[in-house]
Order: sequence, then structure tokens, then C-alpha cells
Amino acid sequence: MTAMDSGKLLELYESMVTMKLWDQTALRLLQEGRVLAGYHSGRGQEAIPAGGVAPLRRDDYLMYAHRGFGYTIAKGMSMAAMFGDLMANTAGATGGLGAGIPHFADPELGILGQGGTLGSCFGIATGAAFSARYRGTDQVVVCFFGDGTANRGAFHESVNAAAAWKLPVVWICENNGYAVSVPVAESTAGRIVDRAAGYGMPGVRINGMDVTEVYQATCEAVDRARAGGGPTLIEAMCHRFRGHYEGDPQVYRTDEETQRLLALDPITTAAARLMEEGAVTGEQLEELETRIQRRIDEAVEEASRAPMPGPQRVYEGLYV
Amino acid sequence: MSLATDTRTLTFSQAIRQALHEEMERDERVFVWGEDVAVYGGIYGATAGLLERFGPERVIDTPISETMIVGAAVGAAITGLRPVAELQSSGYFGIAMDEIYHKAARWRYMHGGVFTVPLVIRLPEGAKGAGPEHDVSPEALFLSASGAYIVIPSDPADALGLLKSSIRDDNPVLFFEHAGLYAYRGEVPGGDHLVPLGKAAVKREGSDVTVIAWSRMVGESIRAAEELAAEGIEVEVVDPRGLRPLDLDTILESVAKTGRVVIAHEAPKTGGAGGEMAAIIAEEALEYLESPIIRVAAPDVPLPQSRYLQRYLIPTAASVMEAVRRLD
Repeated sequence: MTAMDSGKLLELYESMVTMKLWDQTALRLLQEGRVLAGYHSGRGQEAIPAGGVAPLRRDDYLMYAHRGFGYTIAKGMSMAAMFGDLMANTAGATGGLGAGIPHFADPELGILGQGGTLGSCFGIATGAAFSARYRGTDQVVVCFFGDGTANRGAFHESVNAAAAWKLPVVWICENNGYAVSVPVAESTAGRIVDRAAGYGMPGVRINGMDVTEVYQATCEAVDRARAGGGPTLIEAMCHRFRGHYEGDPQVYRTDEETQRLLALDPITTAAARLMEEGAVTGEQLEELETRIQRRIDEAVEEASRAPMPGPQRVYEGLYV
Repeated sequence: MSLATDTRTLTFSQAIRQALHEEMERDERVFVWGEDVAVYGGIYGATAGLLERFGPERVIDTPISETMIVGAAVGAAITGLRPVAELQSSGYFGIAMDEIYHKAARWRYMHGGVFTVPLVIRLPEGAKGAGPEHDVSPEALFLSASGAYIVIPSDPADALGLLKSSIRDDNPVLFFEHAGLYAYRGEVPGGDHLVPLGKAAVKREGSDVTVIAWSRMVGESIRAAEELAAEGIEVEVVDPRGLRPLDLDTILESVAKTGRVVIAHEAPKTGGAGGEMAAIIAEEALEYLESPIIRVAAPDVPLPQSRYLQRYLIPTAASVMEAVRRLD
């Protein structure tokens, strides 16, 4: 890993803090009963959406994972729209269809949406990458998924085709050690990154708790894809701090284990590095946090003003 | 193979090829992919010659990966292309079921309508002596996949006109082609022949009985109607040309006229689309019925591979005639 200039690191730090504060705010709304469905916290894994989306252009495509809202925040999706989707009201990008784990998208920002049957992201990513090349653009697709999702059969079919056709995709696996409750060692043969060799594409395993490492590995993969060098598989080793979903009793791991993880917080690590380099003071970081929280609060405020959809909503947008 | 100006005779398979050719000529966003569709020209010859004309960028042999074939076609469709994906057999639907049922049909809806999914999935179906997994007619399975159109041609003219319309439509279309029809010849109009989706065809007019049939059973029903005419029974054959959108008006108009209904399809009776169709007619037009609705369909067994035994299971013109004679 080469050094990163502190300006870039500060940008990624800001992105991660936004995700963390977003997450806290979403959890508060959940407690207040203002979120209609469940939520999968992204706390602890912010380095991956922050470092993995930052290398993308506005017109590059994103298939995001279901943990937190970091990917779409980083791609520039309207926060008010995302809060609207959490609250299932008409401010949401889905106009009130989504709730909690919404399927929102923004074609203008290359955000292609999310499938609830995990693993369906793989085919869509391959197709979007095919489309980019077919249309003669140099757009790139980044597809995020978890270690559990990597065991869906769609992985093989889609990753194989993308590699055979040298399509511009970057596959980013977030390996947080658990597929809901099942440890990766019990469910997965070999290392996920080693599958890359089987498909004849580069694979790299990185520390997914380090935003610099995620950013640099993704930049390299995105550049290669854009230049026609085909796909890359990145396995980012990471930890989720909370349960798979809110309310998860986490019987599969001990409190001690969860407590130990907190020391690996990617945001604290990045803050320490920034201060060590003398790029910022602790006070400045606090101010930054206040500023971001204000932006988030404004988005909540804006989303809260929107009405709930009427019963007619369920009939809209099915057919053209 | 440019636009023909005059009526001519084509096989069903040639009509499919003609539709693909014309639409690829017209719109460069249209591409074709599937197993053995390029160099080989499709196992039924429906994509023959496309590779030579349009090149490997637009006519693509895929790996044997139906999940990817459909899933990636959805990805291409939401990013500006108009894929025509072929599943070599509709029996492979299960391998791509999530991609068909949840992705193709619902990606637009569940994302709040911000995308269109202009995608056609071609699904060869029906009995042909290839065994219980290949010889299926699974169109009814997709009745609950709201969001996807279900289009089923029964002759070469409709194959051409319906496929062209399906490719131009912005909704995802499941396009079922009976493998037993590929070699059948029929007259096809010249020019830019388009058949609108969701418009039933009265393939034969009659006043005594309405036979609602699709796919191969349309031809069988017309043959049955011709024989029954000699006995003085006038049968009207209504081909809905698919299951969604459903042209209920044409169906109910015919039912109101005849008061007697036979529904004929090749899929097994239980779980077949005839049940849904009969329920709709009972709900909407019971007062017109002078006799119970009869369904003509395969029995509830898988189709064995043996063509010898298949003959005992597959409904034919004789089955339709027998049903019509049973009506009061």
C-alpha cells in the first residue's frame, strides 16, 4: 500500500462519518417507530462503501449491498429520498413502495438498484457491464456483495461470463465472517479471493477496515476495467459491529468478540492517521461531524414532511 | 432478408428469424443472446444467419448459464439495450426463475418505476419427444409474475408480428414458441407486420361454441372446427395470443354469442392457465353460459420422452371435437 495524501483521506473520512451518522440516525428513527421495516446496520464496514465507491465516475454503475446505505450515500443519492424510503412515504425514491430495506435506484447516478434475493446482483452487474461495452462507453460496474452471497450459484454463472468476455466489472466481496449467523469457515470452501484464479482474473484480498487500502485496490481494479483489462475480484476482510439485522440476538458470537471489534473501527483509525499527519485537529473533526449531522437532520426533516402514499400507489409503475 | 412487400409463405421458425432480423435492422440496441444462437443458428434454426448479418457483437453465444442469460439481460435492458434472450428450452425456466419472476418482471416496479425493462425472453415449449423436463408448457407458472407479459403465437404471421411488437414494447415479455410449430408454414403479410400485444384473434368465426386455445392447440381447434362444421356445429376459435395482457373483451364477446366454452391447451389441466380463464369467465359471464365450461388439456402426469406414449397424453383436434360434442 502506498501513502495517500491527506486531502484524499479526509474526503474518505468525511464519507465514512456521513455513513456512520446516517446509520445512527436510521437506528434512532427505527427506535422511534418511524421505520416501517427492518434495517441492516452498516456500522463497522464503512471503509468499503467509502473506499469502493469514491473511485467511480458519476456515470459508472453501482450494484449496492444491503448493509447500511453507505454505497448510495457515496454515489450521491438524495438523502431525503433515502430517508423517505426508510419511512415508506412519498419522499422516497420509490415513492412509498420501499420501507427499511428499500429497493431504491437512480439511473442518472448509475445506481441500478438492489435485489432482495441476494445474488441476483451478479447477473445484473454482468449485463450492465456488457451494455457499457456494447454502447461503446468506458463505464465501469462495481458490484458489492457479502461472503454469504458469494455462495449463491448466480456468482459462478455471472462472474464466469464477465471474465470470459473481459467485461468492465469490479466484484467487491465484503467478508465480515458471518452469513447471517453461520461463520464463513463452516460454509465456504477455500478463500473467496482464490476463486479469481479459477476465472483467470486478478484477485486481491485486502484489509477492509482500512479505507486507504480499499480505495487504492478499487482504483487499480476500476482503471484496469476501464482500460479493457476485464474484471477483478476484491475480497475485503471486515467486521460488522452490530447484528445482521436490528433485533438479531447474535447467539452465534460472544459479547467479548463484538467488543474487541470496536478497536478496529475504520473511522477511528482514519481519524488517528489524519491527526498524526497533522492534517486536522480533533476539534476540526468534531466540527465536521456537527456539520454532517446537520445535513442529515435536514434531510430527515425534509423527508418527514412528505405524506404517506395513497392506496392507488400499489398499481403505479408496474407496466409502461 | 429485408422487409418484404408482398404476402409470402414462411415457416414459423423463419418468421421468428424474420422478426429478429427486421428489428435488429431497425434498432441497433436490439441484440440476441443464448445458447448456440450464433454460429449454430439456434437449435431450431430461429437465429440462423443473424451472426453473418449483424456480427458477434450483436449475436452472442453464451455459456450454458440460464441464470446469467436472463439476469444479465435485465442488466442490459435497464441500461439502454433491448435484449432478446433465448432459453434453449422453456424447461430451463427453473434455472432462471428468480431472474424471470423477480428481476425481469419486477425490477421496474420495486424500484419505483424509474427503469424500463425492454426485454424479450424466447422460450421454446411443448411436446417434441425430448422428455419430461424439456417437453413442458410452463406459461401458467408466470400468471402470478405480475409485471411480465406472456405472449404466445400460434402461426407464422403471429410469430412475426407478435415478436416484432414484443421487441418494441418497453415491458418484459415472455415469448413462448411451441417447438412443434417451427416447421409449419403459413401466409405472412408483407411490409412492417406488427400484431399488437393483448389483442386476441378470432381465428375462425362460429355461433355455437367458443373454443379458447393458444399455441399449438389453435391449429388443432381449427381442424376440429372444420370437421364439426360438417356435423352442423359452428365453432368459434378465439386465440388470446398469450395470457397477459389478456383481451377479455374479445373472449367475453364470443362467450356471450355462443354460450358454450371449451378451453384447450397442451399443459396439464391442473395448474394450467385454462383454470384461470374458466374462473374469469365464470365471474364475468356466468349468465351467458348454457353449459359447464370444459377444459381440454394434458392429464396430470409428466410427458414421457417416448413419442409413442406422448400420443396418449397430448390433446389434439380429436380431443377438442370430443369436448364440443359433450356440451349440452
